[in-house]
Amino acid sequence: MSNIAGKAYAMNVITPIKSYWAWINKLIFWAAIKFPGALTGLITLSLIHYARWVILKDSEFPHLAKEQPKEKLHYTYMLFFSNFNGSWDQYVDSFTFAIPGGLDLFWKWNIRYPKSVTLTPFHKYIRYNQIETIHYYSAYPLAAANDVKAAKQVKTALTQFHQDSQTLSDDEFMAGYKTLLRGLQHDLGDMYPTPIVTMAAYEVQERKYKHEREQAALAGGENG
Amino acid sequence: MTQKLELTDIQGNVLRAYGRFGYPVARYVFFNIRDDRKGRAFVDAISKRVTTAVEWGDGPGQIKQPDWTLNIAFAYQALKELGVPRSSLIGFSPEFISGMKDRRDILGDDGPSSPEHWDPIWCSNRVERDKDIHIFISLNARLPQFLLEAYQWLLGEVDKTGGGVVQLDGHRGDNGEILPYQDSHIVMENGQPTAKEHFGYTDGISDPVFEGVPYDEARLPGRGKQMPNGKWAPLATGEFILGHVDEAHEYPPAPEPVLLSRNGTYMIYRKLHENVGTFEAYLEEHGSKFPGGKELLAAKFVGRWRDNGAPLVSAPDTAAKAKFDADFAAADAKTKDKMLSDFTYDNDMSGGKCPFSAHIRRINPRASLEMVRGDKPGAMKISTDAFDTPGALTNRRRLLRRGLPYGEVKDRTRDDGNHGIVIMMLNADINRQFEFVQQQWVNYGNDFIAANDKEIILGNHSVDDKLPSKAVLQVEPDSNEAPYILPKIPRFVETRGGEYFFVPSMTALRMIAKGVVDPT
Repeated sequence: MSNIAGKAYAMNVITPIKSYWAWINKLIFWAAIKFPGALTGLITLSLIHYARWVILKDSEFPHLAKEQPKEKLHYTYMLFFSNFNGSWDQYVDSFTFAIPGGLDLFWKWNIRYPKSVTLTPFHKYIRYNQIETIHYYSAYPLAAANDVKAAKQVKTALTQFHQDSQTLSDDEFMAGYKTLLRGLQHDLGDMYPTPIVTMAAYEVQERKYKHEREQAALAGGENG
Repeated sequence: MTQKLELTDIQGNVLRAYGRFGYPVARYVFFNIRDDRKGRAFVDAISKRVTTAVEWGDGPGQIKQPDWTLNIAFAYQALKELGVPRSSLIGFSPEFISGMKDRRDILGDDGPSSPEHWDPIWCSNRVERDKDIHIFISLNARLPQFLLEAYQWLLGEVDKTGGGVVQLDGHRGDNGEILPYQDSHIVMENGQPTAKEHFGYTDGISDPVFEGVPYDEARLPGRGKQMPNGKWAPLATGEFILGHVDEAHEYPPAPEPVLLSRNGTYMIYRKLHENVGTFEAYLEEHGSKFPGGKELLAAKFVGRWRDNGAPLVSAPDTAAKAKFDADFAAADAKTKDKMLSDFTYDNDMSGGKCPFSAHIRRINPRASLEMVRGDKPGAMKISTDAFDTPGALTNRRRLLRRGLPYGEVKDRTRDDGNHGIVIMMLNADINRQFEFVQQQWVNYGNDFIAANDKEIILGNHSVDDKLPSKAVLQVEPDSNEAPYILPKIPRFVETRGGEYFFVPSMTALRMIAKGVVDPT
């Protein structure tokens, strides 16, 4: 179990909401998609890969087999699902510092939502309703959301420059090359491993690596 | 200011950077408690000479400015030794309880900065019980002879404990000798006192201003929090002092009872060695290639010009610097201070003036993190009204900075002299403030859209050639220039020791000394 993969953290939060309020939330989500200006704050927080809010009716929870006991649910639920870079604290804090009004708008009608300011009750609300991630995989563990965007910029601009520069004189090439670099001056950061998110997560990771090395050595021994 | 703080309850070093108040020399002394009763008696005796944050004056009924000051702080083990109950101890922050050495992987204290290279006093801390660092005492003085007077007084008090409190040895001195104290002092240049550190930069300009400090009111512009109307407001007191409301409108987590934590704070002590020879060589090498020349390049590392601290956003090139200098020379002291501190990054969102990896932009980004991609390639712009307040991502990451340079540079081509900075940072939450800035902004760059690129001066640049460190010095997006890329940045600054401390209020200090802390 880990909520962390590479530079990303996965957060799932399921909070109960009375079904008649859920309709209002759906309306707010619809408006937010229709008028994306409302999401400027969210988009400006560059640590976010992805964030999604979904309303789940009590009948919409997965029932995978006959043997699975049927649960009796009293509420409709709001599922919040997000992938972001950095630590839980960093993410939740950025949200509450930067867009407290937006958070309150989305969660306002949820049962016992304490409002995003003050911080500690909000932290407790999220922690209490968070579902831990059972399996989480990252194909590019060195890449943060910004790095993915930057890499795409570099690839596009470089391919374009390659095409455009075939017939240039030396001076023109130099001017074009400078323009290329200038245009990419916020896309050239080096990608190295993630900073340690917490000491606890770091220690878990270290134990896992050690275990894997031991297993590999053991397997090698058997084959040999 | 709506509320004045209880200045006689708060220790003086919390609200004053003594260097700026006419105390150019300091000595830091560390102690181990061997007997709890004698330890408390020692703390009691010391508490009577502790300098508070009270306002000074020469008038009748006023408290005169002292010739020397004394302040005290405790590491976690000290509180245990002195009999603070478990029910209070569990309320201290986990980072404070763990200690700095235990947090090295978060702080990036690796390679030459890793604890096995620290001064001996820090190496044995939390390894051998009798060498654990318990008590920190700082002495600051107006003249060297007053410092000696203060130190003699302190030694007398230690003597009286009859071995119950032991002064710890193990600070490296000027000639490699091992000393029982750490000295620090301002750097002199041509016989004149300066506010510079050993690389030649003016230090400590942008110390935060927060609610309730009477002698900081005039210093607000550029040092508080940036407001939507372009003005500055003092930060919430609870960002720096426990028991007061913080920027999240609540009291920061703190131990009980309230009397133990209120008006106290956490202090981060770090001894940072400066590799002057490496710095000079690197600056020379790239200064000869950098389009604006060596001094502009030096300014790009930090975001300020070395000679007078002029911020790059106000003086981005040689011509603008000449104009700044003329105005600066003609200005009175108050205007001078404002010229150095009162600026924003609003007119430099792309970093063409002050690079994204420059020291001051990383340590205190002001409102510049409220940014999105600009319209031109290579440009960034303000994301207007995106956040609740422009400094939303900065206001909870500020640090009070205290401390002075130590040692002397005798040979600017060498790294191995005794020269650096003893920095003491104060904040209400070590994890949210100091450790965050150190890890995310100094040793990493994602918030600055710079991937793993580090802050140029303080970053723990890799000594491994396979993972070289670089920085991009941005240019104006509408210019014809290319950004200058600093390759293979060497490590300019190395950690030589440090620990987390709790700076109690006067009330808490007396309670600890009397052994009467009780959260029941």
